Amino acid sequence: MQSVAEDTFVEEEANPFATKAIGLKRRDQIVSILLRLGTYFILSCAAYIFLDIIVKGAPVVFQAEAPFINTDFFTQSPETLMTFETASGDEYKMNFSEYTEFKTRNPAIDIVDEHSHAYSGGGIFGPLIGTVLLTGICIVIALFVGLTTAIFLNEYSSKGKFMDLIRLAIMNLAGVPSIVYGLFGLGLFCLVAPVVTDVPAPRAILTVPLLFTDSVLSFEGWGTCMLAGGCTLAVMILPVIIAACEESLKAIPMGFREASMALGATKWQSISKSVLPYAFPGMLTASILGITRVAGETAPIMFTAALAHKDKLPWQDIPTDAEANALSQSAEWVGGFFSQSVQAMPYHIYTVAARIPQSEYTKPMQYGSVFVFMVVVLIFAALSIYLRAHFRKKVQW
Amino acid sequence: MSDSNADTQKGSSDFEKRIFQRKGFTFFGLGLQDVIRYFFGGNASLAIIILILICFFLAKEAAMFFPDHHRGLKAYRSAGQEFVDYIGQEIEQHTRIYSSANIAYFAEVNRTSLEEDAILRAQRAVLANVESLTARSWKELERGLDNLEDAQEDLDDLKESEGALDASALSKLTKDIAQLEAKIVTVRAKLKKEVTVVLGSEKAWDLGGGGIGISSGARAKVLDAVLFEAFPDSKEDHPFIVETKAASRAKKGLEAEKLAGFKDTLKALQSAVRPMKDLHSDLKKIALESRKEINSLETAPARRDAWLAGAESTDDPAEKARMLARAGEVVIAAPDLSALNAPIYSSVDEHRTLLATLQAEVERLHKDLPDGAETESGRKNLKKADHYYGEFVTTVRENRDKIQGWRHDKSLGLMASVGAFLMGKDWVTNSSWHDFYGLLPLFTGSFLISIIALVVAVPFAVSAAVYVNQLANRREQTFIKPAIEFIGAIPSVVLGFFGILVFGETLRMVSQLEYLQWIPGFPMAERLTILNAGLLLAFMAVPTIFTLTEDALNNVPRALAENSLAMGATKLQTVFRVIVPTAISGIIAAVLLGFGRIIGETMVVLLVAGNKIKIPDFTEGLGVIAQPAHTMTGIIAQELGEVDNGSLHWRALFMVGVILFVISLGVNFTAQQILKKLQKI
Repeated sequence: MQSVAEDTFVEEEANPFATKAIGLKRRDQIVSILLRLGTYFILSCAAYIFLDIIVKGAPVVFQAEAPFINTDFFTQSPETLMTFETASGDEYKMNFSEYTEFKTRNPAIDIVDEHSHAYSGGGIFGPLIGTVLLTGICIVIALFVGLTTAIFLNEYSSKGKFMDLIRLAIMNLAGVPSIVYGLFGLGLFCLVAPVVTDVPAPRAILTVPLLFTDSVLSFEGWGTCMLAGGCTLAVMILPVIIAACEESLKAIPMGFREASMALGATKWQSISKSVLPYAFPGMLTASILGITRVAGETAPIMFTAALAHKDKLPWQDIPTDAEANALSQSAEWVGGFFSQSVQAMPYHIYTVAARIPQSEYTKPMQYGSVFVFMVVVLIFAALSIYLRAHFRKKVQW
Repeated sequence: MSDSNADTQKGSSDFEKRIFQRKGFTFFGLGLQDVIRYFFGGNASLAIIILILICFFLAKEAAMFFPDHHRGLKAYRSAGQEFVDYIGQEIEQHTRIYSSANIAYFAEVNRTSLEEDAILRAQRAVLANVESLTARSWKELERGLDNLEDAQEDLDDLKESEGALDASALSKLTKDIAQLEAKIVTVRAKLKKEVTVVLGSEKAWDLGGGGIGISSGARAKVLDAVLFEAFPDSKEDHPFIVETKAASRAKKGLEAEKLAGFKDTLKALQSAVRPMKDLHSDLKKIALESRKEINSLETAPARRDAWLAGAESTDDPAEKARMLARAGEVVIAAPDLSALNAPIYSSVDEHRTLLATLQAEVERLHKDLPDGAETESGRKNLKKADHYYGEFVTTVRENRDKIQGWRHDKSLGLMASVGAFLMGKDWVTNSSWHDFYGLLPLFTGSFLISIIALVVAVPFAVSAAVYVNQLANRREQTFIKPAIEFIGAIPSVVLGFFGILVFGETLRMVSQLEYLQWIPGFPMAERLTILNAGLLLAFMAVPTIFTLTEDALNNVPRALAENSLAMGATKLQTVFRVIVPTAISGIIAAVLLGFGRIIGETMVVLLVAGNKIKIPDFTEGLGVIAQPAHTMTGIIAQELGEVDNGSLHWRALFMVGVILFVISLGVNFTAQQILKKLQKI
C-alpha cells in the first residue's frame, strides 16, 4: 500500500502543469530580497554622503570648549587665508585683514614661505545673509503672486479649454531647467526691467519721462542685484507654488463652499472663512518646500545676483543724498539696498568647490560651508515632509 | 443698489439683504466682490504674463542668433576659410592614423622593459611623494643651508675687506657658522629619520592610480634608491637606478631593432603629409587676411557713422575737422572677393596632385603597418589606426567633390545656418580663425550623461518603489518613503561638491580594481568623467522616479490585486504580472520626468563632467563613459558670465537655452499626456 501511495505522489509531481510550490516560494524570497537590497542600497548611498559631509564638516562648526560652536565661522565673511612662516620657524595662519594688520604691527618680521588660499579664511556670514535675503524676497513675491493666482484659478475662473491650457502651461513650466530661468532673469530683470532715475543709461531700450519730476522711467535693467536674483527665483518657483496651492484648494470639499454660500455669505466671505483656513496647511507645506528648493538653487542666481567675493554686507555703505529730506533719503536707502549684489551659500560652495585647489587649509572652509548649508536646507525639507504627513493624518473629511 | 452681487442676491428679501450686505463700498462703480475678483484675476494674469515673457525673451534672443550666425558663415565661405578647412580635415585624419600607429609602436618597443620602466616611474613618484610629505623639514634644511651660505659670504667679505680685520666680528661669524653647521647636521639627521618613517608608510607608495606594479624585491631596492636620491652624496644616480636605466635602454634597443620596418613606415607616413601641410598653412594665412579685410569692410559704414557722430557732438573746430577727416578716410566698398580668393582657386590643381600622392602613399604605408602586435595597447591602437584609415579614405572621397565644386560666392541659405548650429561638430569660441557654434558636442555630452543616469537610476528607483509599495511592512514604509524624499531635497551644488572632492577620486580608485575590469572604460585615468556625472545624476533622479512610480502603483485598483491573489497567484506573480503592467504607463511617465530633471541639471555636470568641449571618442565603444564631456547646461553656466551682451556668442548661449527649454517642455508634455491617459482608466 505504501508503494502505491508513493506512486500516486510521484505521478502528481510529474504533472507538467503543476507549479513547484517550494521553488516558487524560494524565487519569491530571492526576488523580494533583491528588491529590498536595491532599496537599502539607495539609502546607504545617501547615508554615505551625509556621513562624509558630517564627519568632515562638523569639526569646523563645533568645538570642544564653550560656547561649543565656532562663532567666528558664523560671524565673519569669506576672506583670503594667509599662511606663512617666519624666519625663526614659527608658523602663522590668519585671514587677510588680520595679516595686513599683523604686518603693520610687526614691520621687522621676516616672513618666509608665504601662501595665500583664496576664499578659505573667515566664515560664512556674508553668504548666509545673502541666501536669507534672496530666499526671503523670492518667497514673498512667489507666495503673493502664486497664492492669488491659485485662488483665482480654482475659485473664480470659469472652467473651459482656455483655463485648461493655462494649467497645462504652468505644469509644463515647472519642469523647465533652472539655468533657463537664469537666462530669462538675466535678460529681463538685469537688462530690461524699468528703474526710476535722473540719468538713464545709454543701454536703456526705452525711456518714459515721469510727469511733475525730473526723473524718467528708464528700461535699463536692475543690474546684478538681489532684487533681480530674488525675482528670478520667484519666477522659477512660481509654477510649483501655483500647482501646490491649487492642489490644496482642490482638496477642500465643494460642500464647504456650497454650505457657506447657501447661508448667504458672499463669494469672498466663503473663500476667506471656509476655504482658506482649511487649505492653509497645504499652502504652508508648499511654501516650505519652495524655500527648500530655492535656497539650494545656484544656476538662476549665478548671473543675476551672486558674487564670489564681497567685502561689505548688503546694508553697509549705501550712498544716500545727505541734503534730501528724510523720506526721500529712506526711499533711496531702500532702493540702494535692494540693488546690492550679494554672496549666496550655493554660489559660495560652487566657488570653493570649483575654483580653489584642495589642501589642508582650504578643507575646513569647503566642508564647513557644505555642512552648514546642508543642515539648514535639510531642516526645512524635514519640516515640510513632517508637516505633510502630520496634516494628512489629522485632516480628514 | 450699486453693489455687484445682483446675481447671487437675486430675488432675496429685504431682510436677507440687511443681514449680509454692507452698503457703501464702491470703487469706479465696482462693488467689493468685484474688486476682490479682479485683484485675484489681475495677479493671475501677471503670473501668466511672466510665464509668457519667458518664452518671449528666449525666442527674441534666439531669433536674432540665426541671421548673425548666417552672416558669420557667409564670411567664412567668402574668405576661403571653408576651403582651407577641407584640406585641414584631410590632414587631421592623416594625423590620427599616424598618432595611433605611433602609440602602437611605442607600446611594442616598451613591451619587454615594462618592469624596468615601472621601477623608474615608481622611484620618481615615491621620491616626489616623500618630498611632499616631509616638505616642512626640507624647507627647514634649505633655510639652514641658505643661512650658512649667507654667513660664509659675510665671512669672505669680511676677510677680503681692506683695513684692519675686526677680530670680534670674525670670531662671532666663525662661531655662527659652526652653530649653523651643527644645526644642519641635526636637521639632516632628523629629516633622514622622518624620510625613513614616511617610506615605511603606505602613503609614500600611493602612486595615484595604476598601482605600483613592481615586485617586492624591486620595491626594497627602490626604497634604497629613494633614500639615496633624497640625500645625494654625489651627482651620480644610485647604482640600482643606473643599472635599471641601462637595462631598460638595452631592451628597448633590442625591440626597436626588430621593429625597424615599422619605424621606417611611421617615418614615411609622417613625411608624406609634409607638402600638404605646407600648402595648408600658406592658404590659411591668405584666408585669414581675406577674412580680416572682409570684416573690416563690413564694419566700415558703422565706423564712419561713429566718426561723423563724434564730429557732430564736439564743439572744438580742430577736433571736428580731425574727426571728419577720419570719417573721410574710411573706405566703403564691397570686398573684391574674386581677387581675394584667386590664390585659393589657383591652388586647387596643386592640391589635387598632392592629395593623389598622399593618398597613394598612405594606402601603401597602411598596408605596411604590422597586422598584429604583442601587446594589448599595440593591438588596440593598430586597430584604431585601421579604423582611422577608413575614415581618411571617406573624408578624402567626400572632400574631393566639395573642393572641386567649391565657389566662394555659392549661395548660403538661412537653413544652412540652422543646420550648422544643430549639426555642427565644433563649439569653438574666441578663436582667431572662425568661431564655430555647433550643438553636437554639448548635446552628446548631455545625452550620454542622462542615459547613464537613467540606466542606473531606473532599476533602483523602480525596485525601491515596488518594494515599498507592495512588499515592505508598515514600519519600513514610514521610514523609507520620507528618507528617499529627503534625498530629493539635497541641493545639487552639494552633490557636485561631493562629486568633485570625494566621489571622483573614489570612483577612480574603484575602477583600478582587478575584478571590475569587465566594466567598459575601466580603469579610468581621470576623476571628472561622464560616468561620474552620470552616477551622481542617477542619485538625484531616484527620488523623482521613486515617488511618481509609487504613486502609479498606488493608483492600481485593489480589486485587480485581490483577484490575482484569489486565483492562487503568489504575491510576486501578482506584483509583476498584474500590478506593474497596469501601472506601466505611470512608470514610463515617471522615467520621462526623471529624464527631464536630469537633462536640465546644471551644477553637478558643471562641476563634475570635466568640461571638455569635444564630441567624445566613440571608437572604444562603451568605454566612452570614462571620458570628460561638456553639456548644454554647463556651457551656459560657464560662458554666459564672460560674454558681451548681444554678441553672437551670447545669442548662441540663449539658443542653447531654447533647445533645453524645448527638450524639457517636450519631455514634460509627453509625460503629462501619459499620466492623463492613466487617470482615465
